[in-house]
Amino acid sequence: MLNKRYCILSLSLFLLAACTRDKSEPESGGLLVLNIEHSVQQNPLVVDDFLYTNEAGNNYMVTEIQWFFSDMELIDASGNTFTFPEAEQVFYVDTDIEATKEIKFKTRIPAGNYSGIRFIFGLNEQKNKSNRFVNPPESFMFWPEYLGGGYHYMKLNGKWINPDGLTEPFNFHLGIGQVYETNNQNYASYTFGEANCYEHCEGYRPGSILPSIKAFIHNYFQVNIDDISFSVADGKQTNLTLEMKVENWFRNPHTYNHNQWGGSIMQQQDAMQMGCENGHDVFQVKPSE
Amino acid sequence: MNRYFLFPGLIIIMLLSACRDKKSAEVPEPTPYEINIPFAFPSILNIPEDNPMTEEGVQLGRYLFYDGRLSGRTHPDSLMTCATCHIQANNFEAGIDHPVFEGGIVHGITGKTTHHVMLPLTNLVWNRSGYGWSGFIYPENDQPFYRNLEDFVWLAVIAEDELAGDTTRVKELFQEIDGYPDLFLKAFGSSTVTFKNIQRAIAQFVRTLISANSRFDKYLRGELQLTQSELNGYVLFTTEEGADCFHCHGGGGNPLFTTHLFYNNGKDTIFNDPLDRYSVTGNPMHRGAYKAPTLRNIALSGPYMHDGRFATLDEVIEFYSHHVKLSPQVDPLMHHVLRGGIQLTTQEKADLKAFILTLQDDEFLVNPDFGPPPLFPDQK
Repeated sequence: MLNKRYCILSLSLFLLAACTRDKSEPESGGLLVLNIEHSVQQNPLVVDDFLYTNEAGNNYMVTEIQWFFSDMELIDASGNTFTFPEAEQVFYVDTDIEATKEIKFKTRIPAGNYSGIRFIFGLNEQKNKSNRFVNPPESFMFWPEYLGGGYHYMKLNGKWINPDGLTEPFNFHLGIGQVYETNNQNYASYTFGEANCYEHCEGYRPGSILPSIKAFIHNYFQVNIDDISFSVADGKQTNLTLEMKVENWFRNPHTYNHNQWGGSIMQQQDAMQMGCENGHDVFQVKPSE
Repeated sequence: MNRYFLFPGLIIIMLLSACRDKKSAEVPEPTPYEINIPFAFPSILNIPEDNPMTEEGVQLGRYLFYDGRLSGRTHPDSLMTCATCHIQANNFEAGIDHPVFEGGIVHGITGKTTHHVMLPLTNLVWNRSGYGWSGFIYPENDQPFYRNLEDFVWLAVIAEDELAGDTTRVKELFQEIDGYPDLFLKAFGSSTVTFKNIQRAIAQFVRTLISANSRFDKYLRGELQLTQSELNGYVLFTTEEGADCFHCHGGGGNPLFTTHLFYNNGKDTIFNDPLDRYSVTGNPMHRGAYKAPTLRNIALSGPYMHDGRFATLDEVIEFYSHHVKLSPQVDPLMHHVLRGGIQLTTQEKADLKAFILTLQDDEFLVNPDFGPPPLFPDQK
């Protein structure tokens, strides 16, 4: 009895498929593929080799870069904004994982001419919540609760040659910054936020171990690409390349010197602020060749 | 025209399907085994498509895991199985105070010691990036016999420094043991014992060994508060200017307490182990790199490091605090290396250890589902 039902169902589906096949029309909108590249001085990034010198004169190498970008929007020639749905608003990129370097958006984009792209480097306050990602590799980016919770915006790991001629590791990690009791700097231009930790974690900050934290600073920033022009056509695929110019993290407007900031900056808001302010010209988007 | 050929094809498929239904009525389908994902744990599991978890498969795997005849031998002096070394009470390791494996250094049935010390079998259902200290068994491996937990079972049975068995002899032996063929029938639809199904069953059982109810888990779930010393230790664990353990060993956002990735943690400056991470990747920067093991139940997992050079947690903390060595291969995450380590005070070391001990899951260590069965299928 069951098999008869299967048979009827299968035949029906088959006939329906046969009937509709010839009537298909080109789907409205086009697809976007974003290829991610990392470069230093206009050449593809080479890891694990002391090939590079930053603006401060530090001879350095990069071992890996892992980062988030989110909330990408496309701006058409008339100034209208196209926003991707929630499922396509956060992306993780990892120089060690090829699959993360090609993003095929599933959402179709209205056909037309586009002249701008915006996205967030890292994650904004609403998205940067602890436990958002439970699966690796994204979950490995978690930012400790004590330091504000959520996730690293970026881990850029490498080594540099210090003034003693020794190879010293650096972890250029960007995420939520902290204002400590001993900190007197003026952070007026920054958005202060609550810690993103679970409620029951409140109060586990032992002042005897580390200075008390007065506030947290969300260091994410918006990237505006307005020197681009590309078209999207119905039923077609558009390929763009998003390039991270690694050396620009360490220059313009601030000259970032590893000898000054040392190997770790997750608890040095001044260093993270400098890195994020340098981020304005780190990214470039262009039509893929 | 193709449509005309498809109609008879569909009918044949229906008939074949009907035949299969009749056969499956004789051997009940095994019951799917559900893994409940603990709070904040990954939802993606390492369960291969050709070995889905079933209640019957797990039950069979548990018998095999604890049955000394897995070595293919029946003489009382020649029995050896997974549980000979992987002891539940010791986080499925031998334990530093094992009466036979002195200092926790294990050897196989022939007396030959293993190349590296043991790794725990805890929470391996979430390991998707390679097994063993070097990660030489991994899903994308070109060599089809070195891809997943099932392959590790095969390797353990045949390896000279483990069971030194013969797969044909093992499967033939279990074919003759009362009760086992019926268990294979229930788990895999055939009473013919194959070594492949032995591998599958043991791997299924090992994937059930989940530790997720430590004091820290209860703290994360808001069920209890840790002591001040433990909380201090947690802060040290998860801060770069503290002990900076979290980048490799996880924390609240990565409750596996490992990334399952590979790091040179600054133990040495000369690297001559032929089975380090370099042996897998061929990248010279990976010399001296090994898997970061999970810190769950770590107090029971000594000796520590790939070669078992440290006997106690105190020695490990002392190493990370004051004895980390600089080499070209040391991982960038060891950013305290030029100071020799994280420079913890005596109190900080005590606090850090107190936190690490909150990762011990006493329930896991005595859970009867993970322990030896009261009787084997032949009632022995």
